[in-house]
Amino acid sequence: MANEHRKEDAAAAGRIAGPAPLPIVLRVNGETRELMVEPRTTLAEALRGPLGLTGTKIACNHGVCSACTVWLDDLAVASCSVLAIEVGERRITTIEGLAGQDRLHPVQAAFIDYDAVQCGFCTPGLVMSCAALLARNPRPDRKEIETAISGHLCRCGTYPHVVQAMLALGTREEPDLE
Amino acid sequence: MNDEFPRRREHFPVGLAHLGLETVEREIPADEPPALGPNAGLRQIGKNAPRWDARAKVTGAARYTVDVSLPGMLHAAVLRSPWPHARLRSIDLSRAAAAPGVHAALTVAEPPVSGKPIVLRYVGQPVAAVAAETPALAQAALQLIDVRYEPLPFVTDPDRAKQADAPAVYRKPELDKVPSAGLPASAAVYPLSGNVLGPESRNSRGDVATGFAEAAVVVDGTYRTQVQTHCCMEPHAIVASWHEDGLDVWMSTQFTAGVRVQLARHFGLPLSRVRVQVQAMGGGFGSKSQMGVYGRTAVSLSRLAGAPVRLVYRRDEEHMDSGNRPSSEQHLRIGARSDGTLTAISLHSHGSAGIAFGAAPGGIASALYPCPNMESLHYDVFTNAGPSCAMRGPGNTQGAFALEQSIDELAEKLALDPIVLRDRIDPSPVHREERRMGAERIGWSQRRAPASDPGPLKRGVGMAQSLWPANVQINTACEVRLWRDGSVEVLSSVQDIGTGVGTVLAQVVAEELGLEPAAIRVRIGDTEFPSGPPSYGSRTTASITPPARTAAWRVKEAFFRTIASAWQVDAHTLIVQDGSIQVRNDPQRRISWQEAAAALRTDRISATAGRADDYAGFRYRSGDAAMALNDLGGAQFAEVEVDTESGVIRVLRVVAVHDCGRPINPRQIESQVQGGVLMGISYALMEERILDSHTGWMLNPNFVDYKVLGPQDAPEIDVVLLENYQGFSASDAYGISEPANIATAAAIANAVYNAIGVRIRSLPMTPAAVLQALGLVPGGRH
Amino acid sequence: MEPFAWQPAASPSEAASIATHTTAEAMLTLTGRPDTQQAMLIKAGGVDLLDLMKEGLVNPGRLIDISRLPDLDGISGEPDGGVRIGALATLARIAAHPALQQSHAALSQAAALAASPQIRNRATLGGNLLQRPRCWYFRSAAHHCLRKGGAHCFAFPGDNRYHAVFANQGCAIVHASTPATALAAYRAEVELADSAGHRRRVPLADFFVLPQADMHRENTLARGELLTAVWLPPQKPDCRAQYLQIGERAAFDWPLAAVAAVLDMDGTGHCRQASIVLGAAAPVPWRARQAEALLAGARIDSATAAAAGEAALAGATPLSQNAYKLPLLAALVRRAVLSAAAIDTVLPANPGAP
Repeated sequence: MANEHRKEDAAAAGRIAGPAPLPIVLRVNGETRELMVEPRTTLAEALRGPLGLTGTKIACNHGVCSACTVWLDDLAVASCSVLAIEVGERRITTIEGLAGQDRLHPVQAAFIDYDAVQCGFCTPGLVMSCAALLARNPRPDRKEIETAISGHLCRCGTYPHVVQAMLALGTREEPDLE
Repeated sequence: MNDEFPRRREHFPVGLAHLGLETVEREIPADEPPALGPNAGLRQIGKNAPRWDARAKVTGAARYTVDVSLPGMLHAAVLRSPWPHARLRSIDLSRAAAAPGVHAALTVAEPPVSGKPIVLRYVGQPVAAVAAETPALAQAALQLIDVRYEPLPFVTDPDRAKQADAPAVYRKPELDKVPSAGLPASAAVYPLSGNVLGPESRNSRGDVATGFAEAAVVVDGTYRTQVQTHCCMEPHAIVASWHEDGLDVWMSTQFTAGVRVQLARHFGLPLSRVRVQVQAMGGGFGSKSQMGVYGRTAVSLSRLAGAPVRLVYRRDEEHMDSGNRPSSEQHLRIGARSDGTLTAISLHSHGSAGIAFGAAPGGIASALYPCPNMESLHYDVFTNAGPSCAMRGPGNTQGAFALEQSIDELAEKLALDPIVLRDRIDPSPVHREERRMGAERIGWSQRRAPASDPGPLKRGVGMAQSLWPANVQINTACEVRLWRDGSVEVLSSVQDIGTGVGTVLAQVVAEELGLEPAAIRVRIGDTEFPSGPPSYGSRTTASITPPARTAAWRVKEAFFRTIASAWQVDAHTLIVQDGSIQVRNDPQRRISWQEAAAALRTDRISATAGRADDYAGFRYRSGDAAMALNDLGGAQFAEVEVDTESGVIRVLRVVAVHDCGRPINPRQIESQVQGGVLMGISYALMEERILDSHTGWMLNPNFVDYKVLGPQDAPEIDVVLLENYQGFSASDAYGISEPANIATAAAIANAVYNAIGVRIRSLPMTPAAVLQALGLVPGGRH
Repeated sequence: MEPFAWQPAASPSEAASIATHTTAEAMLTLTGRPDTQQAMLIKAGGVDLLDLMKEGLVNPGRLIDISRLPDLDGISGEPDGGVRIGALATLARIAAHPALQQSHAALSQAAALAASPQIRNRATLGGNLLQRPRCWYFRSAAHHCLRKGGAHCFAFPGDNRYHAVFANQGCAIVHASTPATALAAYRAEVELADSAGHRRRVPLADFFVLPQADMHRENTLARGELLTAVWLPPQKPDCRAQYLQIGERAAFDWPLAAVAAVLDMDGTGHCRQASIVLGAAAPVPWRARQAEALLAGARIDSATAAAAGEAALAGATPLSQNAYKLPLLAALVRRAVLSAAAIDTVLPANPGAP
């Protein structure tokens, strides 16, 4: 896989693209999508605009609030601080592609159970960070959870319920619902 | 109370549920539903139904205003003043209007008095706007606007602005155009001296000189609070579509119905031709209650361009120009007898709402602890800074920081425990119970003398009392529809800004109709539906849940009448349970909800109910707004650890004990209280709008240097909720958002005092401020 | 962001040969508006560069992307016990690298405290070292400050709470890199490559420049040069290190003050040699030489640690609003020394620390 990337890069090297819009191909949520972008188009803008995936939110546009978190391969990144043109072959996973159609990822279900959602604007990004953590660490402790979400800002104050939801997933306890 | 309307008597539970309830008889309008029993006997109300829109929000399907995209939609950008104070010498939009992809350009700034030149009064003030085919084209076109400014002297620092020789932000004749950060009012009624407006005397009574003469102990302190910005995660956003039938607007707003009225008035349209919608809404906290300059700008651009226009603020625009909590400087003196009885309270305050007025530190100092002699004088100080507007617990949040520290100081001087003193001077039995429960949870009895820890890390515990009026919007309506297939809808223009009011509506209707909340379709956030209340002033639940229940009850009554007439029984003998309707005590006469609905004469039946007056009356009423007889309270306790070498304050734990009448969804309330506490910690420790006094620019219009509390700063929060029945309305439920934010900073400050033995009277309590208070900072070079 | 063209580089030397300016050069204007629209700039992770471009502080005509170049992101142990870290290694990989955590703990600690997990997954070590200052006047397009070619420093008369307390004459920025503090304490070197493929190694202390030497840049990176790696010298077996920082927020906050302490202990509680570097204190990672001298040969205990803390402040010239940094730095030095020497457990000065 890595070698393929490099071959592709080498082929692209030396070519100057833009500044006018140009066609690129992105692998988003398991699909291959063609779209037109300018070199200055951020991944967040490309997702929300031409790709219509508005679940990814832009709240600060400077990589500081993490509302725009998506996965590049398995890494959670701030999509407002990545250019669409530089993503290349990497797999993009957005909130829309986290679980299958009409299904919920366990993190999403736990967020509902523990009311880890208020206005919800920061929620898709938080879900993506939490799901990325869970993928590499099925039983995170409080500190690990807090570190994984440390870059997120939630003005409504859902942090305590997010941590509670994640702890419950880690221990696989049934949600403590009254 | 109008005698010509029929009334009947009902018996309501009253009191705090965990202490035992009593019954009170009240006469209520005959078209209001029967008294609702306590939560313990209910199936849906008081239970943790999942948030109605949680699934949409966790999957990214929820549609916010920033996600609304219409065919042919243009994108707006705003040219903003680079000067804190300037006369607009000339503006020429022609090059911008002719730029590629640009469809409209207009001047946004208006002269203060018609015919006079336009004056810009803060950096970031909108000057002009364009609409173009892409956001980038709109942004690029701004550079083609030929604009000439004549810079004028300015002042951004309130202390400097108070001085007689400071540059004047306003002249007297301009005062009636000054925006209000508080209740709609005119600044022109107050005297103006330089930049100082006022005084406004609020709730003054008795004679404080006599009161202080009677006092055995007097505490006297000056408290300062900073400017805080709202920091909604979803920026201010609007999509406006002006068309031949009228105006359609999608807006991230806290008040669809109110914005519709403002838009109709501003653009001379009938209400019937203005529609305002919001589906998911990414937070407001007081900053999204009005049409706003951004609202009228987008609509004007749409009218000019003949196409829909989207306007979304960037984060720096949010910080500079979407409102903020005003600063305050409060000089508070309190006198008391040796037993603690208050004899006088004197509050002289200044506050700056920038170019707006209404920066008073609330009414908490005059309302929380009764005192016969009260003097409250407030002065607004104009500065060349963005206008303030309401922000979560406006006034009282600043006021509580001063009052509740002073009360602690008073207790210390009187050698009384702070809770003992409050129990003596606070007549509210609910507050007393809140303090008792909170004290137990936090381990108050283990609390030590100030600065007891020998090492550099010092722990302390403190508390503060919250107070907020129980607001009600009388102009509130809600419709419930029952369809022939048995399905049910609840409809109102009320918007869910993250509080969960949609869930609450479903629970209330489901309770009345014997259904599950998930079976109720919630249709809100659209002025096509009956007008709902605003989501501010902690009034949404109190306003909308009584008419929701009343409408559901009326639909049920009508539905029962059709069944009863078919069965030839008295409709009052019918009950609904688990999706079936039956004659009470006669299980044989039973029909499923769906079967019964299938027999309706028409496709649907519906009822629309308005908000009745509180059954025991209101304390205050003006226009659409009223206040219930009792206030909303809440006591918050904080345990902190202060690192006396680094100045870092860590909040380890908060116990928040609150009352909001009848809790409808405890888990959602817990979420909201946690949010109020966290916003309060953020206010207490780190947030501050910083303006450069030499250039007038905000230095931290971002999330890097404007610091908002993050997950690793959040303590454990223990939320305790009282069930406080009062028999005031069909739901007997009241709000929670603001009381949850008001006491936090004061509780932390009192805990910090308990930890280090030094009182910090300024916000935010940053490491630098703590080191300064501890006397560890050497004199800096100037 | 203004439009720009895009060119993936085929090799480091190609990138170096195409680049027409360093980012610092491209930001230098006489007018206050970026006038180098034709500048071709090198972009790695792009975290800081995109930020500057979004603010309109630099408007390059073309970005030369080196982020996908092979062999620039390795972390490898050298035969002499040193470590070479490729410039494209991300902060996340550095923070999580088990061997580095053993050999150069202060660097792992510093990398783990920079920005957020999302940013650490993208931010490269090279880009982090080359990021431009966080001074809010420098970051505001409305303030044409000295460092951007203007005639005024706005921080001296203005709000300087986050500014430098050492070497702050003329321009009072603090160096923005968190890992740089630790790297400086390890006496690291940067590896620079030119368009001909020549590589040279420069001690970090010589790479970073003070405003007195050059007001317009933070380092000596020249046009046509690429930062390709960081070299960490081998550590003696008894070397112990600690990085500490204090912020107003527990995470994603540029520190108010930071310190990296590396102590070469002799096994009897004495320190043979000490390296004490202060962060967020000066325009470059600030070596506290008097503290180092005081610790060399001394028995490490709370008294010597406290004395080192005081000695670290020698020569400080705080501004109108940042004198609070002095007690903060003294406390951090004392705690870092005690913690590095394993005498006292670290007090939770920075709750965000992993």
